[in-house]
Amino acid sequence: MKIDIDKLKKIVGGDNVSDDVADLYVYSSDASVHQALPSAIVRPQSIEQVQKIMRYANKNKIPIVPRGAGSGTSGHTVPIDGGIILDMKQMNRILEISPEDMLVRVEPGVVDDDLNRALKPYGLFYPPAPASSRIATIGGEIAANASGVRSVKYGATRDYVLGMKVVLANGKLVNLGSNTRVHSSGYQLERLIVGSEGTLGVVVEATMGIRPLPKFRCLGVTNFDKLEDAGNAISDIISSGSQPSMLELMDKIGIIAVNKAMDLNLPEVAAIIMFEADGNVKKAVDFEIDKMKKICEKHNGTGIELSYDVAERTRLFSGRKKLFASLSKYKEGIICTDLADDMGVPNSKIAVTAKKINEIAERNNVIMAVYGHCGSGVIHTKIMLDPKKKSQWKDAEKVIEELYDYVHSVGGVTSAEHGIGLSKAPPWKKARGDIIPMMRSIKKALDPNNILNPHKIMDAPDDWVGATNLRYKVG
Amino acid sequence: MGLLGKIFYIREKGNNFKRSKKWEGELNKCIRCGYCYELCPLFKTNNWESDTPRGKLLLIYGMITGEIEPTQGIVDKIFQCFYCKNCSDNCSAGVPVTDILTDARADLIEAGFEVEGTIVKVDEDLCSVCGVCVPVCKYEALSIEEKGKDQHEIIVDKVECRGCGLCVSACPSGAISQKDGCEITLPELHMKVSNLLKENKDMKAIVFCCNWSLFPGMQLSESPTLVKTPYGLIVSMCSGRVAPELVLNAFEEGAWGVMVAGCPPEECDHDGNYKTRRRLVLLKNVLKELNIEPERIKLDWFSTGESAKLSKAIDDFVKKLEKLGPIKKMEASKKFGG
Ligand SMILES: Cc1cc2nc3c(=O)[nH]c(=O)nc-3n(C[C@H](O)[C@H](O)[C@H](O)COP(=O)(O)OP(=O)(O)OC[C@H]3O[C@@H](n4cnc5c(N)ncnc54)[C@H](O)[C@@H]3O)c2cc1C
Ligand code: SF4
Repeated sequence: MKIDIDKLKKIVGGDNVSDDVADLYVYSSDASVHQALPSAIVRPQSIEQVQKIMRYANKNKIPIVPRGAGSGTSGHTVPIDGGIILDMKQMNRILEISPEDMLVRVEPGVVDDDLNRALKPYGLFYPPAPASSRIATIGGEIAANASGVRSVKYGATRDYVLGMKVVLANGKLVNLGSNTRVHSSGYQLERLIVGSEGTLGVVVEATMGIRPLPKFRCLGVTNFDKLEDAGNAISDIISSGSQPSMLELMDKIGIIAVNKAMDLNLPEVAAIIMFEADGNVKKAVDFEIDKMKKICEKHNGTGIELSYDVAERTRLFSGRKKLFASLSKYKEGIICTDLADDMGVPNSKIAVTAKKINEIAERNNVIMAVYGHCGSGVIHTKIMLDPKKKSQWKDAEKVIEELYDYVHSVGGVTSAEHGIGLSKAPPWKKARGDIIPMMRSIKKALDPNNILNPHKIMDAPDDWVGATNLRYKVG
Repeated sequence: MGLLGKIFYIREKGNNFKRSKKWEGELNKCIRCGYCYELCPLFKTNNWESDTPRGKLLLIYGMITGEIEPTQGIVDKIFQCFYCKNCSDNCSAGVPVTDILTDARADLIEAGFEVEGTIVKVDEDLCSVCGVCVPVCKYEALSIEEKGKDQHEIIVDKVECRGCGLCVSACPSGAISQKDGCEITLPELHMKVSNLLKENKDMKAIVFCCNWSLFPGMQLSESPTLVKTPYGLIVSMCSGRVAPELVLNAFEEGAWGVMVAGCPPEECDHDGNYKTRRRLVLLKNVLKELNIEPERIKLDWFSTGESAKLSKAIDDFVKKLEKLGPIKKMEASKKFGG
């Protein structure tokens, strides 16, 4: 693929374009198992620059892959067809904080935690907060419809998108949505961009809703001797009408891993639940916490610890926050791979799904951790294996297929929050073949030359293992 | 790489990266989450992912598995690091980022690459071989070696040099330097001070902040953009790098006061804070001579995790400066350096 590097340098400046192998190799992967080399990295600083890049790419049919922090877990930003990685991290200004209208206007490269640090002095916060909020960008969160620990009460990214500016494949700038909290004025096109994984347009500015920071937060931690009991407690808390601001699960594998990684000394029981309530009236928070505590006890939850103290809450939660990477410490010789990942199931199916995951793993001799923002139905699994052994990848493939078949059979979804990308495309396509033609029509209408993050989601290869090189040296 | 290096590299290919190869298992443990670059000062400056710890690990993995061959561009990236270890401290997969980096550096030097990055270099013409720098370096990266009969020179061990730059500020002849581009050289720090004070006319204090112990905490309590603070924060690597002219330059550019925040003497990785203390005592005396209140310079120690204490100390310092008001105009003859 011939890319005119000089032309790109004229658009964004010499320091913001690279075709050095040092950069190409680094930008060839994200937090997934995939890897493919781009042909150039370009770092735009303004909307006009993005428009010019898109015009050039569209004319020359060069793939463009927008990239935020590259924390995507399913190969979203891995440039399967090569082309240009559009690194959006330089467009990272907070343009407006409006406590009057309860909104912020930001460039897409703003890091989630930075936004929350800026909002704190106003007594406000931006709630979706994925566990990766320390590096994940608002643009990446919109494109993946990220959610997080507080989504059980506050919802996912899509619930905060009011409006956005998007540069389309042909370089045209469109202004979608509004500045108002509600609108019923035509198609909700801003919502179409949410979860589009960089395939429909480049988000260059976003107007997002914000919320007042609650005065009180109380966190509870409970231990369970059976994973199923923990699952039932979670379902019960939700269906009882409780309003947790966080409801997280961590299984024994996760507990052992964080103990090893962080010396946390957590009891190595079958599962731990973390539940939180927040609000401006302490009595109301106490009420919610007490209600959840009783439900946990009913399901054999023991050793309940409660805390309002920020430092203590941070300590109690730190294991969950850093669980994903800690899993690589679970056992010598095996490492954590981002496979299976983040299915979503109906509230009533949490316990049975958790149990089923254990059963499938055991039957296939595969180690799999179960955790997640289970209060909102998100079940994370990670497969731990020796990446050098080909046979283990084969086992993983089998387990993944079986797992997704089960999740879909109970009315669940392939991905609850991380997106489809490459790794999850085969099971998703199997389950949602019905909507693929409609999605392809939308893609064709907005990006007729198929330059925006091509061959992802509905157009991704059917075999995830062979979709790209695996980023591990196998064999 | 020079021609000789290339020949050597190709001939020795099977044997290359013998040190780094032992880390393959650890490199596989990296889930590439990127958490390690949240607090990476180099990434904050350059904003290229190839400057992040995750990026460096990827490059090393690529080289040891034979997916990529080392190039000068890759070598330049591998040799840019200040060893603050914010990355390994932040990695719950337990990847020993800087240990892996050190071995990769040794392998690349052995393969004949020319390296610079954040490593210091000594200008032979300026160096009097007084040896002041040698004990300053806690990593024993500097030594006096015999060059010829009765001739000596300072040699830099490019694997051991951590790029802290303490020797740069200790050398009385100004013979030691580091490459521009990572915002740590004296001219770059001067520029940062000037820009901060120009951008925000209400800024009262410049705070030099140690990267090793304080930056992570500060970063976590800082409010970026929009919220204009009455102080400007500059990460100066070790507090021992805050040269007197940097402090005086801040006053000249309009700061009402300068605070240097370092880690407690016994906790400093480089023993740089002892040097800062001595220097700032002398500087305060200079201020007195110039009829400027010495309390406009403040030095304080903070441990990692004491961001709340640091924030309060900065607030108190700013309040004090607001009471003192701006520095009264000096007669030309009394200007710094005048
Ligand atoms: C340790 C870890 C924990 C995680 N925890 C969570 C979690 O709790 N919840 C959750 O939802 N996710 C989680 N994730 C997944 C990931 O962090 C999120 O998907 C996040 O939203 C990605 O943001 P990013 O900036 O890294 O985007 P990237 O990974 O760079 O990109 C993600 C997608 O967005 C597109 N994109 C990026 N910027 C733009 C733009 N400006 N315009 C158009 N498209 C764009 C890309 O093309 C890509 O398809 C986690 C990941 C890791 C590694
Ligand atoms: S080194 Fe650790 S923190 Fe950095 S990307 Fe790898 S796992 Fe994440």
